[in-house]
Amino acid sequence: MPGPVVVAEQVAKRWGSTQALTSATFTIGRGITGLLGANGAGKTTLLTLILGLHRPDGGRLLVLGADPVQAGPAVRARIGYAPEHDALPPDVAAHDVVRHIAEIHGLPGRVATARASDALYEVGLGEERFRPVGTMSTGQRQRVKLAQAIVHDPALVLLDEPTNGLDPVQRDQMLALIRHVGHDLGLDVILSSHLLDEVERVSDAVVIIEQGHATVGGRMDELRNAGNTELVVSLDDPAGATVLVSALQRRRVASSDAGQGTVVVALADDAVFDAVRDEVAAAGLGVRAMKVRTRSLEEVFLAGQTGAR
Amino acid sequence: MSDTSRIFEQGYRRYDGPRLGRWAAVRSVWKHTVQRVLGLRRSARHKVLPFLAILFAYLPAIAFIGILALVPADADQARDLAPTYSQYYGFVTAAIALFIVFSAPEALCPDRRHRSMSLYLASPLTRETYLLAKALAVFTVLCLVTIGPLLLLLIGYVLQTNGPDGPVGVLAQLARILGAGAAVALFGTAFALALASLTDRKGLATGGALIVLFGTHIVGGVTAFVLDLSNAAIMLSLFVAPFEVAARILDAPNGGTAATSTPNLTVFVAALAWTALFSMLVYVRYASLQVTR
Repeated sequence: MPGPVVVAEQVAKRWGSTQALTSATFTIGRGITGLLGANGAGKTTLLTLILGLHRPDGGRLLVLGADPVQAGPAVRARIGYAPEHDALPPDVAAHDVVRHIAEIHGLPGRVATARASDALYEVGLGEERFRPVGTMSTGQRQRVKLAQAIVHDPALVLLDEPTNGLDPVQRDQMLALIRHVGHDLGLDVILSSHLLDEVERVSDAVVIIEQGHATVGGRMDELRNAGNTELVVSLDDPAGATVLVSALQRRRVASSDAGQGTVVVALADDAVFDAVRDEVAAAGLGVRAMKVRTRSLEEVFLAGQTGAR
Repeated sequence: MSDTSRIFEQGYRRYDGPRLGRWAAVRSVWKHTVQRVLGLRRSARHKVLPFLAILFAYLPAIAFIGILALVPADADQARDLAPTYSQYYGFVTAAIALFIVFSAPEALCPDRRHRSMSLYLASPLTRETYLLAKALAVFTVLCLVTIGPLLLLLIGYVLQTNGPDGPVGVLAQLARILGAGAAVALFGTAFALALASLTDRKGLATGGALIVLFGTHIVGGVTAFVLDLSNAAIMLSLFVAPFEVAARILDAPNGGTAATSTPNLTVFVAALAWTALFSMLVYVRYASLQVTR
């Protein structure tokens, strides 16, 4: 099984008087990983370090198993990158741009030509691919940027704020494309974004960067389930909530009456399920619904912020 | 699937074929830049200036060869009017300057203006190999006007028995033409890229190049001939320096321009110093360029 895509240990980077990254430590594995953080949190700095364009001031960074500074060209040959800003020459046809990027990543000319068409088609650009980039809409230009990032079949795709400037419909389409690239095409993706819901919708894992620190990192499902997970029990009889809370507290299971017949139980371990079942049965309460409430990414984010402070 | 049926559209798929490495990247950038500077694969208006410059560079050679063809073989006096190779540069200096000033900025400025540098440097290219590819492209295009017309002249002269004697003579002249043309193109490449590295606007690069060209010419001329300090000061002129080197390589060992009495060593060192200065400027500018923001 392939190893992690990116491993960062105590990575630090300073730009003049600004400390962009401070001891960032995290691991990015396979699939789509969201790199989440506010503007100026250090996400783009991290991407430049992953590309080997700058040397970290401290710490150790491994990308696809190699040091991106030492093995820069070899590492970058296996990376596709779509920057946040417009980077495409407006007077050149989209197909020519994408083919050129394929060639500079080492694909032979004919292969590059064929794959440029395939990549553009994959992102939803058919005949438009022969139009100059400058005549395209913002949404189409973002698609061209995505196409040039995947055309050479990279092992890792870096997308920096790929939904910038898109309207809600275009944004949904772009997120669907990113999911398609990560899940259907099987390319590992790092999606840098300051939009929490965007990352939550498409990512398998997340690394949250705040003021140069990686405050949270891991698989999305693990983070949602980790700590503070709660069991929400809805009872037929609102008065039964008080009875159940008292019974659970006698068994030292933390719980609270949330009103309207709802009891929230701290899910410390699997034994809590048994305790709730037994107490509900003993009190003869009717249960309408019982479900585990996982944390949203926002709660994970906020918990990370609290932890960092 | 039957023998006659084939799938033409396979869609996006994984690629496990050969990857050609960084020199293929350099070649691709070189090719792309040559096309861009010449206006190829672009609309007609982008082709006008480069092709006009090429036309102006070749037209005198075609005219001289045509005139020689009309002059009787025994009319030695008339045939002596045909320019020497070094004199030919006098006819095409404007065309070469036009190319350097108007077309060469196209190699560097748009990549920074459209912020495409981030795409280039996110590939196997480094800043150094990117600049190498760009310099090779400008050099190649400049060779079209610094070497091409003289080669045409050589072929015309040889066919009309007005050229060097024998295969050895022809080969020696060919080597001199290649060397001189390469020297002028190298100088022009360094100069054009240096000016283009200072701005991301082609218009500013062109304007700056014109000011520097004429400015150095005035300073060199005034220092050498008005103040009468030293004849060698004319090598400060960017109009004179490359063509003086070319003249001395070609057929005017004592000088073919205003720098006639300047020693060879001074001429070559001055041209080399200019080229090194311009190259250093480009390198320094790009070494610190922030490309991902």
